[in-house]
Amino acid sequence: MRGTRNGVATESRHLETTDRELVERARAGDPSAFHELLDRHAGFLYSMAVPLVGNAADAEDVVQETLLGAYRGLRAFEGRASVRTWLAAILIRQAALRRRHERKRMAASAQAATAVEGSRQFPSAATAADARIDVTAAIQGLSPDHREVIVLRELHGMSYDEMAQALGVPRGTVESRLWRARRQLQERLKEYLA
Amino acid sequence: MDECREAERLGAYGDGELSDAARAGMEEHLARCPACRAELNRLRALSHMLAAADEPAMPPAAMKRFHKAVDAMPMIELAHIAEVFGAAAASILVACCLWLLHARSSGVTSGQIPIWETVAIARHETTVTAPEEQLTQWIVQDLSEKTRHDQN
Repeated sequence: MRGTRNGVATESRHLETTDRELVERARAGDPSAFHELLDRHAGFLYSMAVPLVGNAADAEDVVQETLLGAYRGLRAFEGRASVRTWLAAILIRQAALRRRHERKRMAASAQAATAVEGSRQFPSAATAADARIDVTAAIQGLSPDHREVIVLRELHGMSYDEMAQALGVPRGTVESRLWRARRQLQERLKEYLA
Repeated sequence: MDECREAERLGAYGDGELSDAARAGMEEHLARCPACRAELNRLRALSHMLAAADEPAMPPAAMKRFHKAVDAMPMIELAHIAEVFGAAAASILVACCLWLLHARSSGVTSGQIPIWETVAIARHETTVTAPEEQLTQWIVQDLSEKTRHDQN
């Protein structure tokens, strides 16, 4: 299991106070505080953005937009969720905006749309040399709602409550989305799970 | 697939997200339902597989770019605020222009000063200077009559 997953609860509890202190300092106009928040959470945000938007270049843009959104929203941060969950929520919204923008752009260009359809042909289990490639492709093939819950839970080990806060949906919705998303992944990856 | 009704809660059970009572109930169910036990194993295998997927590593250049972006944020924010105020000022200007146009078209023009405005700005010199004017008129009248009388 990856580092972000093990000991998430204890680590976040340990860092929570200092994260909030950094937010307070950044609110008070201390530029170094926001840089420190960036150092602390950029890796997490980036690794979440890549599977959500599907490529590294867009993921960088989404992280940058998330940082700007967080900077603008510093005063609105109420501290109900952890700073990490708050940033994840902003990133999810930014990724959704990016996907919407991308869809519009693709719809405006028939040629581009054809090219994208081509790029969405994920390798099947029978032809893929590496199961990891198929895992990435299978996650990419999920609907945005299902992809989000898989990324937050399976790749970042968030609790259902944290996911509900980040996604702005009830906990029951998180559970049912996760159930359906896992079902689809089981189907797509059945050759490896048999 | 013929599925057990409890299967939908297996994910939450495997994630440790059920309440104590629900977890105990699920454990009792698992003891007597081989289909759910098999499904729980598949879910665990899936989780292991997903956890083993490569975590995207952030390029060092991206981190530099983010720090630069953070440095530029106060200016971006100022520009954003200026944009908002500019848009508000432009809206007010447009509203004023529209109001003036409307006022003109409804007949209130600079050539037709409303009565209340005329009264408000009128100078009340008559009452102040009346006795002096009257006195002057009397003198002029008197002198005129005297001149006429002398000529006769």
